[in-house]
Amino acid sequence: MAIVRSYKVGDPLPPLTKHMTQEAINCFEKSGGAKGPSQFTDLETARSTLGTASTVASGRMSLTFAIELLRRYFGADVYNRGGMVDLRFLRPVRPGDSVTFTGKVTGIAREADGNRVSVEVSATNQKGDVTAAGTGTCLVPSGYWPAEE
Amino acid sequence: MAQTQGEHQTKRLDWEALEIGEKLLTLSYVLTQEMVDEFRKGVMDPEAAFPTISQKVDVRPYHLVYHDDGSVNARCAFYCYNPPIPGKRITVQAWIADKYARRGKNYIVTAAVSVDEDGRLLDRVVTHELKQPAEVGKKWQ
Repeated sequence: MAIVRSYKVGDPLPPLTKHMTQEAINCFEKSGGAKGPSQFTDLETARSTLGTASTVASGRMSLTFAIELLRRYFGADVYNRGGMVDLRFLRPVRPGDSVTFTGKVTGIAREADGNRVSVEVSATNQKGDVTAAGTGTCLVPSGYWPAEE
Repeated sequence: MAQTQGEHQTKRLDWEALEIGEKLLTLSYVLTQEMVDEFRKGVMDPEAAFPTISQKVDVRPYHLVYHDDGSVNARCAFYCYNPPIPGKRITVQAWIADKYARRGKNYIVTAAVSVDEDGRLLDRVVTHELKQPAEVGKKWQ
Protein backbone atom coordinates (compact mmCIF):
# COMPACT_ATOMS: atom_id res chain seq x y z
CA MET A 1 0.00 0.00 0.00
CA ALA A 2 1.36 3.38 -0.96
CA ILE A 3 2.22 5.86 1.77
CA VAL A 4 0.23 9.03 1.34
CA ARG A 5 1.22 12.19 3.14
CA SER A 6 -0.57 15.44 3.23
CA TYR A 7 0.61 18.89 4.23
CA LYS A 8 -1.01 22.27 4.24
CA VAL A 9 0.13 25.77 5.04
CA GLY A 10 -0.37 26.53 8.72
CA ASP A 11 0.03 22.93 9.93
CA PRO A 12 2.01 22.91 13.20
CA LEU A 13 4.88 20.48 13.73
CA PRO A 14 4.77 18.43 16.97
CA PRO A 15 7.17 20.20 19.37
CA LEU A 16 10.43 18.66 20.52
CA THR A 17 12.03 19.46 23.89
CA LYS A 18 15.66 18.83 24.80
CA HIS A 19 17.14 19.06 28.27
CA MET A 20 20.73 20.20 27.96
CA THR A 21 23.42 18.76 30.19
CA GLN A 22 27.17 19.22 30.26
CA GLU A 23 27.48 15.47 29.69
CA ALA A 24 25.49 15.74 26.45
CA ILE A 25 27.62 18.66 25.30
CA ASN A 26 30.79 16.71 26.09
CA CYS A 27 29.54 13.69 24.11
CA PHE A 28 28.71 15.88 21.13
CA GLU A 29 32.15 17.50 21.13
CA LYS A 30 33.93 14.19 21.69
CA SER A 31 32.06 12.55 18.79
CA GLY A 32 33.50 15.20 16.50
CA GLY A 33 37.03 14.46 17.61
CA ALA A 34 37.46 17.61 19.70
CA LYS A 35 40.43 17.34 22.00
CA GLY A 36 41.34 19.67 24.82
CA PRO A 37 39.30 22.36 26.55
CA SER A 38 36.90 24.54 24.59
CA GLN A 39 34.17 27.09 25.27
CA PHE A 40 31.75 24.13 25.11
CA THR A 41 33.45 21.85 27.61
CA ASP A 42 35.53 24.04 29.93
CA LEU A 43 34.29 26.88 32.12
CA GLU A 44 37.59 28.77 32.19
CA THR A 45 37.88 28.66 28.39
CA ALA A 46 34.28 29.89 28.07
CA ARG A 47 35.06 32.77 30.45
CA SER A 48 38.23 33.79 28.67
CA THR A 49 37.00 33.32 25.08
CA LEU A 50 33.34 34.33 25.28
CA GLY A 51 33.16 36.20 28.57
CA THR A 52 30.26 34.04 29.72
CA ALA A 53 29.68 32.70 33.22
CA SER A 54 29.12 29.17 31.98
CA THR A 55 29.96 26.85 29.13
CA VAL A 56 27.63 26.97 26.14
CA ALA A 57 26.34 24.34 23.75
CA SER A 58 27.54 24.43 20.17
CA GLY A 59 24.99 25.92 17.80
CA ARG A 60 25.35 22.71 15.86
CA MET A 61 23.54 20.90 18.67
CA SER A 62 20.52 23.15 18.14
CA LEU A 63 20.90 22.57 14.41
CA THR A 64 20.75 18.81 15.02
CA PHE A 65 17.64 19.20 17.20
CA ALA A 66 15.92 21.22 14.48
CA ILE A 67 16.80 18.48 12.01
CA GLU A 68 15.25 15.92 14.39
CA LEU A 69 12.08 18.04 14.63
CA LEU A 70 11.73 18.01 10.86
CA ARG A 71 12.78 14.39 10.40
CA ARG A 72 10.09 13.25 12.85
CA TYR A 73 7.50 15.32 11.00
CA PHE A 74 8.38 14.39 7.42
CA GLY A 75 9.75 10.88 8.05
CA ALA A 76 13.38 9.80 7.86
CA ASP A 77 12.85 8.20 4.44
CA VAL A 78 12.31 11.56 2.77
CA TYR A 79 13.89 14.05 5.16
CA ASN A 80 17.29 12.37 5.35
CA ARG A 81 17.50 12.51 1.55
CA GLY A 82 15.99 15.86 0.75
CA GLY A 83 15.73 17.98 3.86
CA MET A 84 17.52 21.07 5.04
CA VAL A 85 17.55 23.51 7.95
CA ASP A 86 18.89 27.05 8.10
CA LEU A 87 19.12 28.33 11.67
CA ARG A 88 20.27 31.60 13.22
CA PHE A 89 21.60 31.31 16.76
CA LEU A 90 20.20 34.18 18.80
CA ARG A 91 21.09 33.36 22.41
CA PRO A 92 23.45 30.90 24.08
CA VAL A 93 22.10 27.52 25.15
CA ARG A 94 23.69 26.35 28.40
CA PRO A 95 23.82 23.22 30.51
CA GLY A 96 20.60 23.06 32.56
CA ASP A 97 18.47 24.70 29.86
CA SER A 98 15.36 23.06 28.45
CA VAL A 99 14.89 24.08 24.84
CA THR A 100 11.69 23.45 22.91
CA PHE A 101 11.72 23.40 19.12
CA THR A 102 8.53 24.24 17.28
CA GLY A 103 7.60 24.76 13.67
CA LYS A 104 4.81 25.51 11.21
CA VAL A 105 4.32 24.80 7.51
CA THR A 106 4.66 28.04 5.58
CA GLY A 107 4.58 27.01 1.94
CA ILE A 108 4.41 24.22 -0.62
CA ALA A 109 6.01 24.58 -4.04
CA ARG A 110 6.07 22.15 -6.91
CA GLU A 111 9.50 21.15 -8.17
CA ALA A 112 10.80 18.82 -10.86
CA ASP A 113 10.95 15.82 -8.54
CA GLY A 114 8.22 16.47 -6.00
CA ASN A 115 6.87 19.22 -3.79
CA ARG A 116 9.09 21.25 -1.52
CA VAL A 117 7.41 21.89 1.82
CA SER A 118 8.75 24.91 3.70
CA VAL A 119 8.54 25.42 7.45
CA GLU A 120 9.53 28.07 9.94
CA VAL A 121 11.39 26.81 13.00
CA SER A 122 12.15 28.34 16.35
CA ALA A 123 13.71 27.25 19.62
CA THR A 124 12.66 28.67 22.99
CA ASN A 125 14.26 28.08 26.37
CA GLN A 126 12.55 27.55 29.73
CA LYS A 127 12.51 31.32 30.33
CA GLY A 128 10.59 31.94 27.11
CA ASP A 129 13.60 33.42 25.31
CA VAL A 130 14.06 32.49 21.67
CA THR A 131 17.49 30.88 21.31
CA ALA A 132 17.35 30.11 17.59
CA ALA A 133 15.09 30.75 14.63
CA GLY A 134 15.09 29.90 10.98
CA THR A 135 13.59 27.87 8.23
CA GLY A 136 13.65 24.37 6.88
CA THR A 137 12.43 22.54 3.83
CA CYS A 138 11.81 19.01 2.72
CA LEU A 139 11.45 17.77 -0.82
CA VAL A 140 8.60 15.24 -0.68
CA PRO A 141 8.50 13.09 -3.85
CA SER A 142 5.27 13.23 -5.87
CA GLY A 143 4.65 9.54 -5.17
CA TYR A 144 3.93 10.32 -1.52
CA TRP A 145 1.17 12.83 -2.27
CA PRO A 146 -2.49 12.01 -2.86
CA ALA A 147 -3.30 11.45 -6.55
CA GLU A 148 -4.40 14.61 -8.33
CA GLU A 149 -8.03 14.79 -9.48
CA MET B 1 52.54 35.38 12.51
CA ALA B 2 52.69 31.67 11.73
CA GLN B 3 51.56 28.95 14.12
CA THR B 4 51.46 25.19 13.85
CA GLN B 5 48.20 23.22 13.87
CA GLY B 6 49.10 19.53 13.87
CA GLU B 7 51.29 19.03 10.81
CA HIS B 8 50.18 22.31 9.29
CA GLN B 9 51.65 25.75 9.73
CA THR B 10 48.82 28.26 9.97
CA LYS B 11 48.74 31.97 9.30
CA ARG B 12 46.95 34.68 11.26
CA LEU B 13 43.60 35.58 9.73
CA ASP B 14 43.57 38.88 7.85
CA TRP B 15 39.83 39.35 7.37
CA GLU B 16 40.27 42.18 4.84
CA ALA B 17 42.57 40.08 2.69
CA LEU B 18 40.54 36.86 2.92
CA GLU B 19 39.30 35.92 -0.55
CA ILE B 20 35.77 34.66 -1.15
CA GLY B 21 36.02 31.38 -3.05
CA GLU B 22 39.31 30.33 -1.46
CA LYS B 23 39.47 26.54 -1.38
CA LEU B 24 40.56 25.11 1.95
CA LEU B 25 42.56 21.94 2.52
CA THR B 26 40.71 18.71 1.74
CA LEU B 27 39.77 16.77 4.85
CA SER B 28 39.44 12.99 4.96
CA TYR B 29 38.39 10.74 7.84
CA VAL B 30 36.76 7.40 8.55
CA LEU B 31 33.41 7.64 10.34
CA THR B 32 33.39 4.97 13.06
CA GLN B 33 30.42 3.40 14.83
CA GLU B 34 31.86 4.82 18.06
CA MET B 35 31.59 8.35 16.64
CA VAL B 36 27.99 7.69 15.62
CA ASP B 37 27.09 6.28 19.06
CA GLU B 38 28.73 9.20 20.89
CA PHE B 39 26.99 11.70 18.62
CA ARG B 40 23.57 10.10 19.18
CA LYS B 41 24.17 10.09 22.94
CA GLY B 42 25.09 13.77 22.82
CA VAL B 43 22.01 14.81 20.88
CA MET B 44 19.76 12.38 22.76
CA ASP B 45 18.42 10.90 19.55
CA PRO B 46 19.07 7.22 18.74
CA GLU B 47 18.03 7.81 15.13
CA ALA B 48 20.16 10.89 14.43
CA ALA B 49 21.48 10.22 10.95
CA PHE B 50 24.07 12.93 10.36
CA PRO B 51 26.95 12.58 12.83
CA THR B 52 28.93 14.56 10.28
CA ILE B 53 27.44 17.66 11.95
CA SER B 54 29.62 17.35 15.05
CA GLN B 55 32.72 16.92 12.89
CA LYS B 56 32.49 20.66 12.07
CA VAL B 57 33.99 19.83 8.70
CA ASP B 58 33.57 23.30 7.29
CA VAL B 59 35.57 25.09 9.97
CA ARG B 60 38.16 22.37 10.65
CA PRO B 61 39.81 22.87 7.23
CA TYR B 62 39.76 26.62 7.92
CA HIS B 63 41.78 26.03 11.08
CA LEU B 64 44.33 24.03 9.10
CA VAL B 65 45.09 27.24 7.23
CA TYR B 66 44.31 30.08 9.65
CA HIS B 67 44.42 30.91 13.33
CA ASP B 68 42.46 33.76 14.95
CA ASP B 69 40.95 34.88 18.27
CA GLY B 70 38.18 32.29 18.13
CA SER B 71 34.67 32.42 16.80
CA VAL B 72 31.01 31.95 17.55
CA ASN B 73 28.57 30.15 15.30
CA ALA B 74 26.00 32.74 14.26
CA ARG B 75 24.09 30.80 11.62
CA CYS B 76 24.25 27.35 10.13
CA ALA B 77 22.47 25.70 7.22
CA PHE B 78 22.61 21.95 6.70
CA TYR B 79 21.45 20.01 3.64
CA CYS B 80 20.78 16.26 3.95
CA TYR B 81 21.41 14.08 0.89
CA ASN B 82 22.36 10.61 2.20
CA PRO B 83 23.04 9.48 5.77
CA PRO B 84 26.73 8.55 6.17
CA ILE B 85 27.58 4.87 6.75
CA PRO B 86 29.93 3.90 9.62
CA GLY B 87 33.20 2.41 8.39
CA LYS B 88 33.28 4.46 5.19
CA ARG B 89 35.94 7.06 4.48
CA ILE B 90 34.51 10.54 4.03
CA THR B 91 36.18 13.27 2.02
CA VAL B 92 35.31 16.90 2.61
CA GLN B 93 35.95 19.86 0.37
CA ALA B 94 35.48 23.20 2.09
CA TRP B 95 35.84 26.77 0.93
CA ILE B 96 35.31 30.38 1.98
CA ALA B 97 31.82 31.05 0.66
CA ASP B 98 31.38 34.64 1.82
CA LYS B 99 32.41 37.29 4.33
CA TYR B 100 30.59 40.35 5.62
CA ALA B 101 30.70 43.03 8.28
CA ARG B 102 27.58 43.89 10.24
CA ARG B 103 27.26 46.39 13.08
CA GLY B 104 31.03 46.58 13.40
CA LYS B 105 31.50 42.83 13.61
CA ASN B 106 33.24 40.60 11.11
CA TYR B 107 31.77 37.35 9.85
CA ILE B 108 33.17 34.55 7.72
CA VAL B 109 30.96 32.09 5.84
CA THR B 110 32.45 28.67 5.18
CA ALA B 111 30.82 25.92 3.15
CA ALA B 112 31.66 22.24 2.86
CA VAL B 113 30.47 19.21 0.94
CA SER B 114 31.00 15.65 2.21
CA VAL B 115 31.22 12.63 -0.09
CA ASP B 116 31.92 9.04 0.94
CA GLU B 117 34.35 6.56 -0.63
CA ASP B 118 31.59 5.19 -2.88
CA GLY B 119 30.88 8.62 -4.29
CA ARG B 120 27.64 9.14 -2.33
CA LEU B 121 26.92 12.79 -1.70
CA LEU B 122 26.22 12.99 2.04
CA ASP B 123 25.57 16.56 3.03
CA ARG B 124 26.41 20.20 2.58
CA VAL B 125 26.90 22.68 5.39
CA VAL B 126 27.15 26.47 5.36
CA THR B 127 28.27 28.24 8.53
CA HIS B 128 28.42 31.93 9.45
CA GLU B 129 31.01 32.58 12.12
CA LEU B 130 31.35 35.76 14.13
CA LYS B 131 35.05 36.41 14.51
CA GLN B 132 34.79 38.43 17.72
CA PRO B 133 33.71 35.76 20.23
CA ALA B 134 33.90 38.10 23.24
CA GLU B 135 30.78 39.84 21.87
CA VAL B 136 28.75 36.95 23.30
CA GLY B 137 29.77 37.72 26.88
CA LYS B 138 29.11 41.44 26.40
CA LYS B 139 25.49 40.69 25.58
CA TRP B 140 24.81 37.53 27.59
CA GLN B 141 26.84 36.81 30.71
